[in-house]
Amino acid sequence: MAATQDVKGKGEGGDQNFDYMFKLLIIGNSSVGKTSFLFRYADDAFTSAFVSTVGIDFKVKTVYKNDKRIKLQIWDTAGQERYRTITTAYYRGAMGFILMYDITNEESFGAVQDWSTQIKTYSWDNAQVVLAGNKCDMEEERVVSVDSGRLLAEQLGFEFFETSAKDNINVKQTFERLVDLICDKMSESLDTDPAVTSGAPTAKLTDSAPPLQQPGCNC
Amino acid sequence: MGQKTSNTTSNKAANSSFFSFLKRFSPPKPSSDKTTSPRTGIFAKLTPNKSMDFTRLISNCISFASTRTQEYLVFKDPEGKFLPSSQALTQVFLMTYITQSVNLDYTDTFNCTAMTPEQRILLGADWVWAILEKPTKNPKIQIAVQVLHLPEREEAEEREAEGKPVSESIQMAQMESRNKNAYERMVDFCTSIGKDCYALFLFFGKRDDRENIYGVLSNNFEADVGKLRSNSPDLSWC
Ligand SMILES: Nc1nc2c(ncn2[C@@H]2O[C@H](COP(=O)(O)OP(=O)(O)O)[C@@H](O)[C@H]2O)c(=O)[nH]1
Ligand SMILES: [Mg+2]
Repeated sequence: MAATQDVKGKGEGGDQNFDYMFKLLIIGNSSVGKTSFLFRYADDAFTSAFVSTVGIDFKVKTVYKNDKRIKLQIWDTAGQERYRTITTAYYRGAMGFILMYDITNEESFGAVQDWSTQIKTYSWDNAQVVLAGNKCDMEEERVVSVDSGRLLAEQLGFEFFETSAKDNINVKQTFERLVDLICDKMSESLDTDPAVTSGAPTAKLTDSAPPLQQPGCNC
Repeated sequence: MGQKTSNTTSNKAANSSFFSFLKRFSPPKPSSDKTTSPRTGIFAKLTPNKSMDFTRLISNCISFASTRTQEYLVFKDPEGKFLPSSQALTQVFLMTYITQSVNLDYTDTFNCTAMTPEQRILLGADWVWAILEKPTKNPKIQIAVQVLHLPEREEAEEREAEGKPVSESIQMAQMESRNKNAYERMVDFCTSIGKDCYALFLFFGKRDDRENIYGVLSNNFEADVGKLRSNSPDLSWC
Protein backbone atom coordinates (compact mmCIF):
# COMPACT_ATOMS: atom_id res chain seq x y z
CA MET A 1 0.00 0.00 0.00
CA ALA A 2 1.70 3.14 -1.20
CA ALA A 3 1.79 5.61 1.61
CA THR A 4 3.73 8.74 0.93
CA GLN A 5 4.74 11.18 -1.69
CA ASP A 6 5.88 14.72 -1.71
CA VAL A 7 3.23 17.26 -2.41
CA LYS A 8 5.02 20.36 -3.50
CA GLY A 9 3.61 23.80 -3.27
CA LYS A 10 3.68 24.26 -7.00
CA GLY A 11 2.73 20.71 -7.80
CA GLU A 12 -0.36 19.37 -9.46
CA GLY A 13 -3.86 19.85 -8.10
CA GLY A 14 -5.29 21.31 -4.93
CA ASP A 15 -5.05 24.72 -3.40
CA GLN A 16 -1.52 25.57 -4.36
CA ASN A 17 -1.18 28.53 -2.07
CA PHE A 18 0.95 27.02 0.62
CA ASP A 19 4.61 27.06 1.42
CA TYR A 20 4.97 23.80 3.28
CA MET A 21 3.04 20.65 3.74
CA PHE A 22 3.42 18.57 6.88
CA LYS A 23 2.14 15.07 7.22
CA LEU A 24 1.07 14.30 10.79
CA LEU A 25 -0.30 11.12 12.35
CA ILE A 26 -2.40 10.59 15.44
CA ILE A 27 -1.82 7.19 17.03
CA GLY A 28 -2.69 5.40 20.26
CA ASN A 29 -5.06 2.75 21.56
CA SER A 30 -8.63 2.51 20.37
CA SER A 31 -11.13 4.92 22.00
CA VAL A 32 -8.57 7.25 23.62
CA GLY A 33 -10.05 10.09 21.55
CA LYS A 34 -7.92 10.38 18.41
CA THR A 35 -10.82 10.95 16.04
CA SER A 36 -12.50 13.37 18.45
CA PHE A 37 -9.25 15.27 18.84
CA LEU A 38 -8.92 15.72 15.08
CA PHE A 39 -12.58 16.69 14.75
CA ARG A 40 -12.17 19.30 17.44
CA TYR A 41 -9.12 20.74 15.75
CA ALA A 42 -10.28 20.64 12.14
CA ASP A 43 -14.04 21.24 12.52
CA ASP A 44 -14.36 22.57 16.07
CA ALA A 45 -16.93 19.89 16.82
CA PHE A 46 -17.37 17.09 19.34
CA THR A 47 -19.73 14.15 19.57
CA SER A 48 -19.98 11.74 22.47
CA ALA A 49 -20.98 8.81 20.26
CA PHE A 50 -18.12 6.38 19.68
CA VAL A 51 -17.71 5.35 16.08
CA SER A 52 -14.67 3.13 15.75
CA THR A 53 -12.46 4.31 12.89
CA VAL A 54 -12.05 1.88 10.01
CA GLY A 55 -8.38 1.70 8.96
CA ILE A 56 -7.28 5.25 8.29
CA ASP A 57 -8.66 8.62 7.32
CA PHE A 58 -7.35 12.16 7.13
CA LYS A 59 -8.25 15.80 7.26
CA VAL A 60 -6.51 18.87 5.95
CA LYS A 61 -5.97 22.10 7.84
CA THR A 62 -3.93 25.17 6.97
CA VAL A 63 -2.03 27.10 9.65
CA TYR A 64 0.12 30.20 9.45
CA LYS A 65 3.54 30.64 10.96
CA ASN A 66 5.89 33.57 10.29
CA ASP A 67 3.88 34.57 7.21
CA LYS A 68 4.20 31.08 5.85
CA ARG A 69 1.19 28.97 5.02
CA ILE A 70 1.59 25.45 6.30
CA LYS A 71 -0.77 22.80 5.09
CA LEU A 72 -1.29 20.03 7.61
CA GLN A 73 -2.36 16.65 6.32
CA ILE A 74 -3.48 14.98 9.52
CA TRP A 75 -3.96 11.22 9.47
CA ASP A 76 -6.35 9.61 11.89
CA THR A 77 -5.52 5.96 12.49
CA ALA A 78 -7.51 3.07 13.94
CA GLY A 79 -5.93 1.83 17.17
CA GLN A 80 -6.89 -1.81 16.86
CA GLU A 81 -4.31 -4.45 16.17
CA ARG A 82 -6.12 -5.71 13.07
CA TYR A 83 -5.33 -2.45 11.29
CA ARG A 84 -1.65 -2.42 12.22
CA THR A 85 -0.41 -3.31 8.73
CA ILE A 86 -2.37 -0.60 7.00
CA THR A 87 -1.72 2.12 9.59
CA THR A 88 2.03 1.54 9.85
CA ALA A 89 2.23 1.85 6.07
CA TYR A 90 1.33 5.49 6.58
CA TYR A 91 4.01 6.16 9.20
CA ARG A 92 6.58 6.57 6.51
CA GLY A 93 7.06 10.18 5.50
CA ALA A 94 5.21 11.48 8.57
CA MET A 95 7.00 14.45 10.07
CA GLY A 96 5.13 14.47 13.34
CA PHE A 97 3.09 12.21 15.59
CA ILE A 98 0.57 12.86 18.30
CA LEU A 99 0.77 9.78 20.53
CA MET A 100 -2.38 9.71 22.60
CA TYR A 101 -3.54 7.90 25.70
CA ASP A 102 -6.63 8.32 27.88
CA ILE A 103 -5.98 9.54 31.44
CA THR A 104 -8.93 7.41 32.62
CA ASN A 105 -7.54 4.25 31.05
CA GLU A 106 -4.41 2.67 32.51
CA GLU A 107 -4.05 0.20 29.66
CA SER A 108 -3.86 2.97 27.08
CA PHE A 109 -1.06 4.59 29.11
CA GLY A 110 0.74 1.27 29.42
CA ALA A 111 0.67 0.95 25.64
CA VAL A 112 2.50 4.24 25.05
CA GLN A 113 5.88 2.50 25.12
CA ASP A 114 4.76 0.09 22.40
CA TRP A 115 3.40 2.89 20.23
CA SER A 116 6.69 4.70 20.65
CA THR A 117 8.52 1.60 19.44
CA GLN A 118 6.19 1.49 16.42
CA ILE A 119 7.18 5.06 15.57
CA LYS A 120 10.87 4.20 15.83
CA THR A 121 10.40 1.10 13.69
CA TYR A 122 8.30 2.53 10.89
CA SER A 123 8.98 6.23 10.65
CA TRP A 124 11.67 8.63 9.78
CA ASP A 125 14.30 9.21 12.51
CA ASN A 126 13.65 12.92 12.68
CA ALA A 127 9.91 12.63 13.20
CA GLN A 128 8.73 14.74 16.12
CA VAL A 129 6.39 13.37 18.75
CA VAL A 130 4.03 14.96 21.24
CA LEU A 131 2.52 12.77 23.95
CA ALA A 132 -1.09 13.72 24.73
CA GLY A 133 -3.00 12.54 27.79
CA ASN A 134 -6.56 13.04 26.58
CA LYS A 135 -9.91 13.30 28.43
CA CYS A 136 -8.45 15.56 31.12
CA ASP A 137 -11.98 16.89 31.64
CA MET A 138 -12.77 13.61 33.43
CA GLU A 139 -10.84 14.43 36.59
CA GLU A 140 -13.00 12.17 38.82
CA GLU A 141 -12.13 9.14 36.74
CA ARG A 142 -8.45 9.89 36.36
CA VAL A 143 -6.14 6.90 36.86
CA VAL A 144 -2.97 8.31 35.28
CA SER A 145 -1.47 11.27 37.14
CA VAL A 146 -0.15 14.31 35.33
CA ASP A 147 3.28 13.58 36.78
CA SER A 148 3.51 10.05 35.48
CA GLY A 149 2.49 11.33 32.05
CA ARG A 150 5.12 14.04 32.13
CA LEU A 151 7.79 11.64 33.41
CA LEU A 152 7.14 9.12 30.67
CA ALA A 153 7.26 11.86 28.05
CA GLU A 154 10.63 12.96 29.42
CA GLN A 155 11.98 9.42 29.33
CA LEU A 156 10.87 8.99 25.74
CA GLY A 157 12.08 12.43 24.72
CA PHE A 158 8.61 13.69 23.76
CA GLU A 159 6.79 16.91 24.52
CA PHE A 160 3.76 16.52 26.72
CA PHE A 161 0.24 17.94 27.06
CA GLU A 162 -2.88 16.90 28.87
CA THR A 163 -5.81 17.56 26.58
CA SER A 164 -9.55 17.39 26.21
CA ALA A 165 -11.24 17.08 22.86
CA LYS A 166 -14.53 17.47 24.66
CA ASP A 167 -13.79 20.74 26.46
CA ASN A 168 -11.31 21.95 23.86
CA ILE A 169 -8.32 22.04 26.20
CA ASN A 170 -4.83 22.16 24.67
CA VAL A 171 -6.01 20.84 21.32
CA LYS A 172 -4.75 23.75 19.24
CA GLN A 173 -1.67 24.02 21.46
CA THR A 174 -0.72 20.39 20.84
CA PHE A 175 -0.81 20.85 17.08
CA GLU A 176 0.97 24.20 17.24
CA ARG A 177 3.73 22.76 19.39
CA LEU A 178 4.17 19.86 17.00
CA VAL A 179 4.37 22.26 14.05
CA ASP A 180 6.97 24.34 15.93
CA LEU A 181 9.05 21.27 16.67
CA ILE A 182 8.97 20.25 13.01
CA CYS A 183 9.94 23.75 11.89
CA ASP A 184 12.83 23.80 14.37
CA LYS A 185 13.99 20.43 13.15
CA MET A 186 13.81 21.61 9.57
CA SER A 187 15.89 24.73 10.12
CA GLU A 188 18.35 22.63 12.10
CA SER A 189 18.91 20.30 9.17
CA LEU A 190 19.09 23.28 6.83
CA ASP A 191 21.86 24.77 8.98
CA THR A 192 23.87 21.60 8.89
CA ASP A 193 23.44 21.14 5.16
CA PRO A 194 24.25 24.40 3.38
CA ALA A 195 23.66 22.92 -0.06
CA VAL A 196 20.00 22.67 0.75
CA THR A 197 19.54 26.39 1.37
CA SER A 198 19.98 27.21 -2.30
CA GLY A 199 16.68 25.63 -3.23
CA ALA A 200 13.19 27.07 -3.21
CA PRO A 201 11.32 26.87 0.10
CA THR A 202 9.27 23.91 -0.98
CA ALA A 203 12.34 22.12 -2.25
CA LYS A 204 14.01 22.62 1.10
CA LEU A 205 11.18 20.87 2.77
CA THR A 206 11.41 17.81 0.61
CA ASP A 207 15.18 17.78 0.71
CA SER A 208 15.17 17.66 4.47
CA ALA A 209 12.48 15.01 4.52
CA PRO A 210 13.21 11.30 4.40
CA PRO A 211 13.99 9.68 1.07
CA LEU A 212 10.64 9.67 -0.59
CA GLN A 213 9.09 6.50 -1.75
CA GLN A 214 8.64 6.32 -5.47
CA PRO A 215 5.39 5.00 -6.87
CA GLY A 216 6.01 1.29 -6.75
CA CYS A 217 4.50 -0.70 -9.52
CA ASN A 218 4.37 1.50 -12.62
CA CYS A 219 7.95 0.89 -13.58
CA MET B 1 -9.28 -20.93 -2.31
CA GLY B 2 -11.46 -17.93 -2.69
CA GLN B 3 -15.12 -18.47 -2.67
CA LYS B 4 -17.08 -16.76 -5.34
CA THR B 5 -20.75 -16.41 -5.02
CA SER B 6 -23.17 -15.00 -7.50
CA ASN B 7 -26.55 -13.88 -6.40
CA THR B 8 -29.44 -12.47 -8.25
CA THR B 9 -32.53 -10.70 -7.19
CA SER B 10 -35.43 -10.62 -9.48
CA ASN B 11 -37.67 -7.61 -9.60
CA LYS B 12 -40.61 -9.88 -9.75
CA ALA B 13 -39.75 -11.79 -6.62
CA ALA B 14 -38.79 -9.53 -3.77
CA ASN B 15 -38.19 -12.45 -1.45
CA SER B 16 -35.66 -14.11 -3.66
CA SER B 17 -32.27 -15.26 -2.62
CA PHE B 18 -30.28 -12.10 -2.86
CA PHE B 19 -27.29 -12.47 -0.61
CA SER B 20 -27.90 -16.12 -0.34
CA PHE B 21 -24.30 -16.29 0.80
CA LEU B 22 -25.51 -14.98 4.13
CA LYS B 23 -28.09 -17.67 4.33
CA ARG B 24 -25.79 -20.28 2.94
CA PHE B 25 -23.61 -20.15 5.99
CA SER B 26 -26.39 -20.89 8.42
CA PRO B 27 -28.57 -23.91 9.05
CA PRO B 28 -31.77 -24.04 7.05
CA LYS B 29 -33.99 -24.15 10.12
CA PRO B 30 -33.66 -22.12 13.29
CA SER B 31 -33.57 -24.85 15.90
CA SER B 32 -33.99 -28.41 14.76
CA ASP B 33 -30.82 -29.56 13.01
CA LYS B 34 -28.15 -27.70 14.94
CA THR B 35 -26.12 -30.82 15.49
CA THR B 36 -26.23 -32.06 11.94
CA SER B 37 -25.26 -28.81 10.29
CA PRO B 38 -22.54 -26.99 12.15
CA ARG B 39 -22.29 -23.35 11.22
CA THR B 40 -19.36 -22.48 9.09
CA GLY B 41 -18.26 -19.31 7.40
CA ILE B 42 -18.62 -15.72 8.34
CA PHE B 43 -21.49 -16.03 10.74
CA ALA B 44 -20.18 -19.00 12.66
CA LYS B 45 -18.86 -16.84 15.45
CA LEU B 46 -22.16 -15.31 16.40
CA THR B 47 -23.75 -16.49 19.60
CA PRO B 48 -25.24 -19.91 18.85
CA ASN B 49 -28.89 -19.29 19.61
CA LYS B 50 -29.06 -15.94 17.97
CA SER B 51 -27.11 -16.84 14.85
CA MET B 52 -30.06 -17.82 12.75
CA ASP B 53 -32.11 -14.84 13.81
CA PHE B 54 -29.34 -12.41 12.99
CA THR B 55 -28.57 -14.05 9.70
CA ARG B 56 -32.18 -13.76 8.71
CA LEU B 57 -32.55 -10.21 10.00
CA ILE B 58 -29.47 -9.03 8.19
CA SER B 59 -30.39 -10.89 5.07
CA ASN B 60 -33.84 -9.32 5.10
CA CYS B 61 -32.43 -5.84 5.52
CA ILE B 62 -30.05 -6.32 2.64
CA SER B 63 -32.82 -7.78 0.55
CA PHE B 64 -35.00 -4.81 1.35
CA ALA B 65 -32.27 -2.34 0.47
CA SER B 66 -31.54 -4.06 -2.82
CA THR B 67 -35.20 -4.20 -3.78
CA ARG B 68 -35.51 -0.50 -3.09
CA THR B 69 -32.38 0.19 -5.11
CA GLN B 70 -33.67 -1.88 -8.00
CA GLU B 71 -36.67 0.38 -8.28
CA TYR B 72 -34.22 3.10 -9.22
CA LEU B 73 -31.96 0.91 -11.32
CA VAL B 74 -34.80 0.42 -13.78
CA PHE B 75 -35.68 4.11 -13.88
CA LYS B 76 -35.63 5.57 -17.35
CA ASP B 77 -36.20 9.23 -18.08
CA PRO B 78 -38.65 9.26 -21.03
CA GLU B 79 -36.73 12.21 -22.45
CA GLY B 80 -33.43 10.41 -22.00
CA LYS B 81 -31.72 13.39 -20.42
CA PHE B 82 -31.74 12.63 -16.75
CA LEU B 83 -29.53 9.84 -15.46
CA PRO B 84 -29.30 9.40 -11.69
CA SER B 85 -25.69 9.25 -10.54
CA SER B 86 -24.08 6.04 -9.39
CA GLN B 87 -23.38 7.71 -6.08
CA ALA B 88 -27.10 8.37 -5.64
CA LEU B 89 -27.86 4.69 -6.18
CA THR B 90 -25.24 3.63 -3.66
CA GLN B 91 -26.72 6.11 -1.23
CA VAL B 92 -30.24 4.77 -1.72
CA PHE B 93 -29.00 1.29 -0.88
CA LEU B 94 -27.08 2.44 2.16
CA MET B 95 -29.82 4.71 3.50
CA THR B 96 -32.39 1.97 3.20
CA TYR B 97 -30.12 -0.60 4.78
CA ILE B 98 -29.05 1.62 7.68
CA THR B 99 -32.60 2.74 8.44
CA GLN B 100 -33.74 -0.88 8.52
CA SER B 101 -30.87 -2.10 10.68
CA VAL B 102 -31.34 0.72 13.16
CA ASN B 103 -35.06 0.01 13.36
CA LEU B 104 -34.40 -3.66 13.99
CA ASP B 105 -31.82 -2.68 16.59
CA TYR B 106 -29.06 -5.16 15.81
CA THR B 107 -26.27 -2.69 15.08
CA ASP B 108 -24.51 -3.64 18.34
CA THR B 109 -23.89 -7.05 16.84
CA PHE B 110 -23.62 -6.31 13.15
CA ASN B 111 -22.79 -2.74 12.31
CA CYS B 112 -22.36 -0.78 9.15
CA THR B 113 -19.84 2.02 8.80
CA ALA B 114 -20.14 4.25 5.78
CA MET B 115 -16.77 5.46 4.59
CA THR B 116 -15.88 9.14 4.35
CA PRO B 117 -15.24 10.42 0.80
CA GLU B 118 -11.50 10.27 1.51
CA GLN B 119 -11.70 6.72 2.87
CA ARG B 120 -13.67 5.63 -0.18
CA ILE B 121 -10.68 6.59 -2.28
CA LEU B 122 -7.96 5.35 0.08
CA LEU B 123 -9.51 2.01 0.98
CA GLY B 124 -11.66 1.44 -2.09
CA ALA B 125 -14.70 0.60 0.04
CA ASP B 126 -18.08 2.33 0.10
CA TRP B 127 -18.97 0.88 3.46
CA VAL B 128 -17.81 -1.83 5.86
CA TRP B 129 -20.02 -4.32 7.63
CA ALA B 130 -18.70 -5.88 10.81
CA ILE B 131 -19.71 -8.61 13.20
CA LEU B 132 -18.80 -7.20 16.59
CA GLU B 133 -17.48 -8.99 19.63
CA LYS B 134 -19.98 -8.41 22.40
CA PRO B 135 -18.26 -6.62 25.28
CA THR B 136 -15.44 -4.84 23.42
CA LYS B 137 -17.36 -4.06 20.22
CA ASN B 138 -14.22 -4.96 18.31
CA PRO B 139 -14.83 -6.32 14.85
CA LYS B 140 -14.50 -10.07 14.57
CA ILE B 141 -15.39 -10.46 10.92
CA GLN B 142 -15.60 -7.63 8.43
CA ILE B 143 -17.02 -7.29 4.96
CA ALA B 144 -15.75 -4.32 2.98
CA VAL B 145 -18.17 -3.46 0.19
CA GLN B 146 -17.46 -1.74 -3.09
CA VAL B 147 -20.31 -0.98 -5.45
CA LEU B 148 -19.71 -1.24 -9.17
CA HIS B 149 -22.04 0.42 -11.61
CA LEU B 150 -22.84 -0.05 -15.25
CA PRO B 151 -19.96 1.32 -17.32
CA GLU B 152 -22.13 3.81 -19.20
CA ARG B 153 -23.36 5.29 -15.96
CA GLU B 154 -19.83 5.77 -14.69
CA GLU B 155 -18.61 7.11 -18.03
CA ALA B 156 -21.42 9.65 -18.18
CA GLU B 157 -20.46 10.76 -14.71
CA GLU B 158 -16.80 11.07 -15.53
CA ARG B 159 -17.68 13.27 -18.48
CA GLU B 160 -19.82 15.43 -16.26
CA ALA B 161 -17.21 15.68 -13.51
CA GLU B 162 -14.57 16.91 -15.94
CA GLY B 163 -13.57 20.44 -15.26
CA LYS B 164 -15.53 20.60 -12.02
CA PRO B 165 -13.53 21.62 -8.97
CA VAL B 166 -12.61 18.78 -6.64
CA SER B 167 -11.96 19.43 -2.98
CA GLU B 168 -8.42 19.57 -1.80
CA SER B 169 -8.59 16.56 0.48
CA ILE B 170 -10.13 14.48 -2.31
CA GLN B 171 -7.24 15.43 -4.55
CA MET B 172 -4.80 14.46 -1.83
CA ALA B 173 -6.51 11.11 -1.37
CA GLN B 174 -6.30 10.55 -5.12
CA MET B 175 -2.59 11.38 -5.02
CA GLU B 176 -2.04 8.86 -2.24
CA SER B 177 -3.85 6.18 -4.19
CA ARG B 178 -2.69 6.92 -7.70
CA ASN B 179 -0.75 3.68 -8.19
CA LYS B 180 -3.67 1.37 -7.79
CA ASN B 181 -7.21 1.11 -9.04
CA ALA B 182 -10.16 0.92 -6.70
CA TYR B 183 -10.44 -2.88 -6.86
CA GLU B 184 -6.80 -3.35 -5.97
CA ARG B 185 -7.07 -0.85 -3.15
CA MET B 186 -9.96 -2.68 -1.59
CA VAL B 187 -8.29 -6.07 -1.97
CA ASP B 188 -5.11 -4.63 -0.43
CA PHE B 189 -7.11 -3.24 2.44
CA CYS B 190 -8.84 -6.55 3.14
CA THR B 191 -5.63 -8.52 2.73
CA SER B 192 -3.83 -6.21 5.18
CA ILE B 193 -6.42 -7.11 7.81
CA GLY B 194 -6.38 -10.83 7.13
CA LYS B 195 -8.68 -13.71 6.36
CA ASP B 196 -11.43 -12.45 8.63
CA CYS B 197 -11.95 -9.49 6.33
CA TYR B 198 -13.97 -10.27 3.22
CA ALA B 199 -14.26 -8.13 0.13
CA LEU B 200 -17.68 -7.90 -1.47
CA PHE B 201 -18.03 -6.39 -4.92
CA LEU B 202 -21.64 -5.46 -5.52
CA PHE B 203 -22.66 -5.00 -9.13
CA PHE B 204 -25.63 -2.69 -9.58
CA GLY B 205 -26.68 -4.15 -12.88
CA LYS B 206 -24.58 -5.87 -15.50
CA ARG B 207 -24.55 -5.54 -19.23
CA ASP B 208 -26.96 -8.34 -20.05
CA ASP B 209 -29.06 -7.87 -16.93
CA ARG B 210 -29.27 -4.22 -16.08
CA GLU B 211 -31.96 -4.46 -13.47
CA ASN B 212 -30.46 -6.85 -10.99
CA ILE B 213 -27.84 -6.70 -8.31
CA TYR B 214 -25.02 -9.20 -8.16
CA GLY B 215 -22.37 -9.84 -5.58
CA VAL B 216 -18.96 -11.49 -5.51
CA LEU B 217 -17.54 -12.25 -2.09
CA SER B 218 -14.14 -13.58 -1.13
CA ASN B 219 -11.43 -13.30 1.47
CA ASN B 220 -8.87 -14.37 -1.08
CA PHE B 221 -9.12 -11.96 -3.99
CA GLU B 222 -5.40 -11.31 -3.76
CA ALA B 223 -4.96 -14.63 -5.57
CA ASP B 224 -6.90 -13.13 -8.48
CA VAL B 225 -5.51 -9.65 -8.36
CA GLY B 226 -4.42 -9.80 -12.01
CA LYS B 227 -8.05 -10.01 -13.01
CA LEU B 228 -8.76 -6.84 -11.11
CA ARG B 229 -6.24 -4.91 -13.13
CA SER B 230 -8.47 -4.28 -16.12
CA ASN B 231 -10.04 -0.88 -16.43
CA SER B 232 -13.63 -1.93 -16.38
CA PRO B 233 -15.14 -4.49 -14.07
CA ASP B 234 -14.95 -7.96 -15.47
CA LEU B 235 -18.61 -8.64 -15.48
CA SER B 236 -18.15 -12.07 -16.90
CA TRP B 237 -17.38 -13.18 -13.37
CA CYS B 238 -21.01 -13.18 -12.51
N1 LIG C 1 -14.96 13.08 28.28
C1 LIG C 1 -14.29 13.00 27.14
N2 LIG C 1 -14.62 12.07 26.24
C2 LIG C 1 -13.90 12.02 25.08
C3 LIG C 1 -12.83 12.91 24.82
N3 LIG C 1 -12.31 12.59 23.60
C4 LIG C 1 -13.04 11.57 23.14
N4 LIG C 1 -14.00 11.21 24.00
C5 LIG C 1 -14.97 10.12 23.85
O1 LIG C 1 -14.27 8.89 23.84
C6 LIG C 1 -14.84 7.98 22.90
C7 LIG C 1 -13.80 7.54 21.89
O2 LIG C 1 -13.38 8.65 21.12
P1 LIG C 1 -12.77 8.50 19.67
O3 LIG C 1 -12.35 9.87 19.25
O4 LIG C 1 -13.67 7.78 18.76
O5 LIG C 1 -11.49 7.57 19.98
P2 LIG C 1 -10.44 6.91 18.96
O6 LIG C 1 -10.80 5.48 18.87
O7 LIG C 1 -9.10 7.09 19.62
O8 LIG C 1 -10.55 7.63 17.67
C8 LIG C 1 -16.01 8.72 22.26
O9 LIG C 1 -17.19 8.33 22.91
C9 LIG C 1 -15.71 10.17 22.51
O10 LIG C 1 -16.87 10.94 22.61
C10 LIG C 1 -12.51 13.90 25.81
O11 LIG C 1 -11.60 14.71 25.67
N5 LIG C 1 -13.27 13.88 26.95
MG1 LIG D 1 -11.00 6.80 15.80
